[in-house]
Amino acid sequence: MLRDFSFVLIFILLSFLLCFLVFVVPWVIAPRSKGVKAQDIYECGVDPFGSAWVRYFAPFYLYALIFVAFDVDVLYLFPVALGYWREGGSDRFLVLLIFLAFLVFPLAYAWRKGVFWWRP
Amino acid sequence: MVEAVGPRVKLGVLEEFLNLARANSLWPMTFGLACCAIEMMATVAARFDLARFGAEVMRPSPRQCDFMIVSGTITKKIAPVVRTLYEQMASPKWVVAYGNCAISGGPFVFEGQYNVIEGVDKVIPVDVYVPGCPPRPEALLEALLKLQEKLTGVRRFPGPERRW
Amino acid sequence: MVAEGLLRDLDAIGCVVEEVPYERKGYWFDVKAQKEKLPELAGAFDQHGYFVEEVVCVDWREELELLYHFNHWDDPRRFSVRTRVKATDPEVPSIWNIYPGAGWHEREIHEFFGVKFKGHPNLSYLFLHPDIDFYPLRKDFVPVTEEDKRVLLGRFPEGDEESFWLNMGPQHPSTHGVLRLLLKMKGEFIEDMEPVLGYMHRMQEKMAEERSYSQYYPNTARMDYVAPLAFSLCYVLALERCCGIEVPERAQFIRLIAMELNRIASHLLWLGTYLLDLGAATPYFFAFDDREQILDILEGLTGSRLTYCYYRIGGVYEDLNEGFLEAVDRFIQRMKRRLKDYDELVTGNAIFLGRTKGIGVIPKEVARRYGVTGPNLRASGVAFDIRVCEPYDGYRFLKPKVALREEGDSFARYLVRLDEIRASLSLLEEAISKVPEGPYRVEKLPKRPPVGDVFFATEGARGEVGVYIVSDGSDKPYRLKWRSPSFSNFVSFTEIGKGMLIADAVATLGSLDLVVPEMDR
Repeated sequence: MLRDFSFVLIFILLSFLLCFLVFVVPWVIAPRSKGVKAQDIYECGVDPFGSAWVRYFAPFYLYALIFVAFDVDVLYLFPVALGYWREGGSDRFLVLLIFLAFLVFPLAYAWRKGVFWWRP
Repeated sequence: MVEAVGPRVKLGVLEEFLNLARANSLWPMTFGLACCAIEMMATVAARFDLARFGAEVMRPSPRQCDFMIVSGTITKKIAPVVRTLYEQMASPKWVVAYGNCAISGGPFVFEGQYNVIEGVDKVIPVDVYVPGCPPRPEALLEALLKLQEKLTGVRRFPGPERRW
Repeated sequence: MVAEGLLRDLDAIGCVVEEVPYERKGYWFDVKAQKEKLPELAGAFDQHGYFVEEVVCVDWREELELLYHFNHWDDPRRFSVRTRVKATDPEVPSIWNIYPGAGWHEREIHEFFGVKFKGHPNLSYLFLHPDIDFYPLRKDFVPVTEEDKRVLLGRFPEGDEESFWLNMGPQHPSTHGVLRLLLKMKGEFIEDMEPVLGYMHRMQEKMAEERSYSQYYPNTARMDYVAPLAFSLCYVLALERCCGIEVPERAQFIRLIAMELNRIASHLLWLGTYLLDLGAATPYFFAFDDREQILDILEGLTGSRLTYCYYRIGGVYEDLNEGFLEAVDRFIQRMKRRLKDYDELVTGNAIFLGRTKGIGVIPKEVARRYGVTGPNLRASGVAFDIRVCEPYDGYRFLKPKVALREEGDSFARYLVRLDEIRASLSLLEEAISKVPEGPYRVEKLPKRPPVGDVFFATEGARGEVGVYIVSDGSDKPYRLKWRSPSFSNFVSFTEIGKGMLIADAVATLGSLDLVVPEMDR
């Protein structure tokens, strides 16, 4: 089991190294541009107009909420898929189905309520 | 004029290798202003195919591209926009002035004119000039090859003057 | 007919109406009015269902003359309403509340000539750069007064707590040119929009006053660079109408063939770029490939790929080259097969239908009040095509079939343009079999056009292209004004765009087929 974790450790170290290199190598070898606008926000070539600190449009929040919920659910399903392949069984399948049912009911509710269509 | 500052270490041979890589993957920015924009679009289309020389995608955002094809007339209203977009491009960057209007104002220069800036090199530094009104798509391909020659020092396909 | 009812109303208001010869002037009725009567006049025109084609201003040094051109879909006899104001204090009542499209023309006249329009809500800079300190199209140097400068710079769109301003800026892959829209967004919905034009203002009208008629001719190809032969044709025909030149029949047929090929090329380019906006990259390559075939044919005929200088006053520059008619015939057969490919690839596509069906509907009333013409109008159920209503040149012999749809949404505009390609193909087939022998050019031309004014309208790929030329007997035009179809089509978007999703706004703007240098001139 320690051997499995050593793979994980090597993976973590390599990913840190890659991220480090991606930041450091351009810092060393890339030319830099000077200029007044170089660090400004890009908005089609003109200065941004008005403020960005406005009150949120509520449906955006709903979208984000639903996305996060289902994303986390899918995250749980990945190890379930791996574990299920190793130790299958019909009772475990039933448990999985119940879990999926808990996911589908809120989705159906949201769909029925019309969250997925833009309305002013 | 905006100038780029060079890299923090001296690179030597790596510089040549980097220039070769840059030259073969120059991504243009779509800055089509006027008539020449249509010829630029035709160059990207299937017949003249800019992508086979490395200019694979035309990115509309200046942060993601290498060079800017200024195709069309520069008026006083669009000049600050050109300047801003040039400054927002990441170094290293190059500019191709495509068409007579971008080189020197084109056919719109007359006595008493009040709106046209005579040439985009009054606003940003230019590397390659392509004359014509509008220049043929083959001229844009030649401009790209000249830009690659400027980067690597080696002309990739022989031009007409070297064929005989 | 409609005009008779209107004439009675105009009599009742008390204006002087004169019938003028259409073959020399380009309009049927010349109405002289006092400026105070303008709103009443506009109301009378509106009641009878007329639309405003353009508003022109001419600087006669001591006086400024304003002309309003009205036309009707069912009774296409043009009215030209004139009024004069003193140059020192030019103030005219605005008609924007009756004709919002005319309101946009008035805004342009204000910044170019200094005419103040009473009652107009927004007379700020539309085309010009705010640093300019004179009125460009006046003959003498007239500086902008302090008070007027405040009006011109006066529009500050304001945000509030719930909305923010998004810039659909000059550099945008979907605006088809340098058009800037300041959108007041509430989430994904557009609450309000403020267009800023003039990024491609190349002083075409001022240049016309500095160049002779032949020297100015190449400019006409640079206005609408996708279908430039429409503008060239309009200019050349206007001068021929003004001087009374009879063009040989062979030249008329050649002009018609070149113009229809150009129309097909323009619609193909629109197709490729519109679908690219919606996210489909493949039809772009198909469309451009077909377009290259047309460009090869036209290059053999005219010598250029994009900005043609082929028509001349009195005919065309050179006769047909060898193999031209066979090449056009081969192209027609090929294009008919390719249209099936477009239908398979695009028309039934579920994503395309979802993005364009029911999106961006232009009702007939909105189209009339803003002066929308061309395929956009024909997709809203109005069969108004200048080639059929006011036939000119080769269209007197061959009539195209008018494509018509009722829904007025973006999908209908797409179908209308495909139908127009088919109609152009059948027109071309008929034309190449009927080209007569004869001279391709008039031998003797008059040195200068006579004193007077002339208006000419042709059907370009985007709508009604018009030119109004005032000649003072010299070899340079005194005033030249272009009626640009994209400008009238675009200003209707400011009305239908409110309340749209931004993705639908992109789809609608693309379907209107705008070319910005033709708007900015």
